[in-house]
Amino acid sequence: MSDMTEIQEPKEVGNEMRGEIRRISSHSRARRLAVSRMMIALCAIALLVSAVPLVMLLYQLFKQGLPVIDKAFFTTLPSTPSLIAPNATGGVSNAIVGTLALTIYASVMAIPVGILVGIYLAETESKLASSLRVIAQTMAGAPSILMGLFAFSFVVRDLNVGFSAIAGSFALAVLMLPVIVISTEIAVRNVPNTLREAGLALGAKPHVISLRVVLPASASGIVTGTILAVSRAVGETAPVMLVIAGGFTNSWKPFDPVSALPLSIYENAKSEWPSLRAQVWGIALVLVVFIFVLSLSARIWASRKQQVKN
Amino acid sequence: MEQEIMTETHSGTAVTASPNRQAIAMQLKDVAVSFNGRTAVRDCTFDVAKNRVTSLIGPSGSGKTTLLRALNRLHDLTSGAKVSGHILLEGTDVYRGDLTVTELRTRVGMVFQRPNPFPTMSIYDNAVSGLRFNGIKKKALLDEAAETSLRAAALWDSVEGRLKVAASNLSGGEQQRLCIARALAMDPEVLLMDEPTSALDPIATLRIEELMTTLKSRVTIIIVTHNMQQAARISDDCAFLLMGEDRAGELIEFDTTEKIFNNPRDPRTLDYTLGRFG
Amino acid sequence: MSEILNESIVALELGDEAAGGYNPPAASRTWYHYLLLAGAILFAAVSVGFVGTIFWSSLPTWLHHAGTLLGGKGWASPLGPFGGLAMITGTFETSLIALVLAVIVGLGTSIAIVFLIPRRFRNVIATLVELLAAVPSIVYGLWGLLVLAPWMETTVNPWLNSWPFAKAIFGNPGQEFGTSLLLASIVLGIMILPTFVAISREVIAVVPQDLIEASLSLGATRWQVIRGVVLPTAKIGLFGATFLALARATGETVAVALVAGGVANVQFHLLYPGTSIAAWIATEFGESQGNEIAALMALGVLLMLLNFGLSLVSRWLVRRQRRVLALV
Repeated sequence: MSDMTEIQEPKEVGNEMRGEIRRISSHSRARRLAVSRMMIALCAIALLVSAVPLVMLLYQLFKQGLPVIDKAFFTTLPSTPSLIAPNATGGVSNAIVGTLALTIYASVMAIPVGILVGIYLAETESKLASSLRVIAQTMAGAPSILMGLFAFSFVVRDLNVGFSAIAGSFALAVLMLPVIVISTEIAVRNVPNTLREAGLALGAKPHVISLRVVLPASASGIVTGTILAVSRAVGETAPVMLVIAGGFTNSWKPFDPVSALPLSIYENAKSEWPSLRAQVWGIALVLVVFIFVLSLSARIWASRKQQVKN
Repeated sequence: MEQEIMTETHSGTAVTASPNRQAIAMQLKDVAVSFNGRTAVRDCTFDVAKNRVTSLIGPSGSGKTTLLRALNRLHDLTSGAKVSGHILLEGTDVYRGDLTVTELRTRVGMVFQRPNPFPTMSIYDNAVSGLRFNGIKKKALLDEAAETSLRAAALWDSVEGRLKVAASNLSGGEQQRLCIARALAMDPEVLLMDEPTSALDPIATLRIEELMTTLKSRVTIIIVTHNMQQAARISDDCAFLLMGEDRAGELIEFDTTEKIFNNPRDPRTLDYTLGRFG
Repeated sequence: MSEILNESIVALELGDEAAGGYNPPAASRTWYHYLLLAGAILFAAVSVGFVGTIFWSSLPTWLHHAGTLLGGKGWASPLGPFGGLAMITGTFETSLIALVLAVIVGLGTSIAIVFLIPRRFRNVIATLVELLAAVPSIVYGLWGLLVLAPWMETTVNPWLNSWPFAKAIFGNPGQEFGTSLLLASIVLGIMILPTFVAISREVIAVVPQDLIEASLSLGATRWQVIRGVVLPTAKIGLFGATFLALARATGETVAVALVAGGVANVQFHLLYPGTSIAAWIATEFGESQGNEIAALMALGVLLMLLNFGLSLVSRWLVRRQRRVLALV
C-alpha cells in the first residue's frame, strides 16, 4: 500500500485541456445523439418510401391482371371491341408468339457472338480487346430506342427487309450482345489462373485449355449472364415498336410483321376502350412473371455456382 | 474510491492476481464474449494498472482481439455478439453503468492493426477528428490539441509544415503514429492497441514501441500482440490467453511481464513463451 | 472489390477492371484463336455500324437544318420545320427532377440497407432491388398512365394549385391533364431508383470497416460516422452512381412516352404535358417519312452523345473510387 503514495498520478500535459474537451463533448452529446437518431430514422423512412412503388405496382398488377387471364387470353387472336360488343377484346396469342419468336431469333444471333467476344476479351490483351471492352460497357447502357433506329436504318431500309420479326430480333440482339459479352468476360476471368497454369504445365495447348478447362469452369457464369440478357430483351418495347409493325397473326416466320407483349401493352394502354385498358394488366402480369422467373432462375443459378465454388 | 476497488480485487481467482499495488484503470471480472451463442473468449478476470502497459498475448484464436474490442464496446456493432461479466472503467461498469457508449469511447481510445487514417482528411483534420466528432469547434482548442497530440505521437516535427496535406501521403509508420495522435487528441484514460505494428516494417515498429514507453506517463495502454519479444520489451503486465478444448479462448495467467516470461505458474505459459507452440 | 462484381447489375453497369489476360504465343494461333478474333471483329463492326448508320441517316438534318433541330420550337409533321428544343428541354427537366428524387431517397435507402439491415437479409434486399430493376419500363409506364395519372388529375393537381406559389412554378392546368412533365419525372425517378441504389449500396458497403470502427472509437455517433467518414470516402463512387442514374433517365423511352403527355412544347410549368427526346422518337417514328425520319435520327444522335458522355464519366468516376479504396 505504501507504493500508492510514491506513484502519484503524473502531471499531464494540458490537464485543463482535457477538462474543456470533456465538458464540450458531454455538453453536446445529447444533441449529437438526437441528430443521429433523427437522420438514421430518415434513412429508414427512405427505405420504406422506396419500397412503396414496388408494392403498389405489384398490387395493381395482380389485382387487375389476374381476373382478365383465362384460357382464351393465351389462345385467341385479339379482336377490336365495338359498340355492340364492347368487351370483345379477344386474346393476345399473336403477342405471345411474337415475343417468343423475337426472343429466340435474337438469342440465336446474339448468344454465340457474345460468348466468343467475351472469351476473346478475357483471354487476350490487345488494343482491340481494350477498346471493345469500353465499347461493350458503353453499349450496355445505351438507350434501347437507339437499337430500334439502328435496326430500322440497317435492316428495314438498307437491306430492304421491311418491317418484320427479323428486324425486331436484330434490334434485341444488338441490345443483348454487350450484356452477354461483359458477363462472359467476368465469368471467364473469375476462373482461377492456377487452373490454366495446371493445364499449361501438362503441356496442353492454350485453345485446348480454354475449351476443356476454362469454359466448363465458367459455364454457369455465362449462363447466368445470358439469362439476364434474355430477360432484359423480353421486356423491351422501344426498339421493337419501330420495326415489327405489330402483326395480327400467330406468325413464326422471320420476315412477317409480328406483335410482342410489350408492344400490345403500349397500344392497349392508350386505347379508348375500357375493356382493352383492363386487358392490358393481364398482359403486363404475364410479362412481369415471365421476366421474374427468368431473372430469379439466373440468380439461383449464380448462387448455386458460388456454393459449388465454396 | 480506489480503496474500494482495491478491496474488491483481493477476491481474485487462483490464476489471477493483482501484480502490483497501483491505481487501477480498468477491471475485468469474469468477462466472456460470445457470438450467436458460441463463446469466443471467457473467464477473463484481471486488473489493468494505471500508467502501465498491459499486453494480451496468446496464439491466434485465443480471443485476444475479441477481448480487447469488448473494452470499448466495439462488439455493439455486431449482431449476435454478447459480452457478459463486468468491465469497470474507474469503477463504472461500461456495459451497465450510466456511461453512454460514445462517452466511453472518448475515454477509451483505440488504435487498429492496419494504419487507418481517414483517407479523405488532411493530417490536421485526422488529428482533430475526434474533437470535431465531439462537437468541439473552437479553432484555438483544435490547434492546441493537434499540436499536443502530434508531439506526443512523435510526429509533430516531421509534419509541422504540411498539416494540410492528405494523410495518405505519409509512410505506413507515420500513418500509424497519426492514428495514435488521433486517439491521443481526445486525451483518453486508456488506449487500446490491436497489434499496432503488425503491418509495419521493423524500423517503424521500433519507433512505435519507443513511443509506447514514453506514452504510458499520460495514458494506460492495453496492447494485443502476437509478437512475444514485443510483449517482453514493452509491457509491464501480461495476460496470457489460450484456446480451450471447446475452441473458446480463456485466460490462463495474468501477472507482471517479468513473471510471465521468467517464472510462470502455469506450464502452458512456459511452453508458449519458449515458443513450443503457437 | 470482388463484392462489387458479385452483384450482377453492378457488374453489368460498371464492368470489370481489366486485369491482364494472357496472349497465346504466335505459334499456338489455331482455328480457335481466329474464331474468337472473328467474333470480336463482328462485334466491332456491329458497334461501328450502330453509331455510323444512325449518324448517316441523320446527316440531311445536320447539313441543312442543324439550327432548327437544336433551337427550333415547333415540330410540324410531315414536312417540317422540325424543332427539337421542346424535346431537349423536356429531357433535361424530367431527368434532372427524377435524379433529385432518386438520389435523395436512394442515398437514404442505401445507408439503411448497409447499416440497419442485418447482414443475413442483405441478399434478399439485393434480389428485391434487382427484381425492381428488371420490371420492364413499359410496365412502369402503364402503371403511371392508368393509376398515377388519374390520381394526379383528381388529387395532386388541385392540391398543388391550392398553394399560391405552386401555381407560379407548376402552372395551373386545373383538372385538365393527368399526364405531365411532373408525372414523367416521378415515374422516371422510381425507375432509376434501383440502379442508383444497387451501385451506391455497393460503394457504401466497401468502405473499410476499420475506418468506421476508428471513428466510433473516437466517440462519434452513428450519423457522424456516416456523414463524416463513410460518405466522404465513398463520394466519388456516389457521383458515379448519380451520373449513371442520370444516363438511365435520359434514355428511358416508353414510360415517358406514356406519361409525359406527348406534346412538343417548350414547357417549364411542370404540371403541363411535354415530351423527351427518346419518347418523341418512339411516338413520332411510326408515321414519319423522309425528312422527318432524318430529324428523328438526329435527335437519336443527340441522345446517343448525351448517354455515352454520361456513362463514360460515371465509369471514370467509379474507377477512380476503386483506386481511392485500393490506397486505403
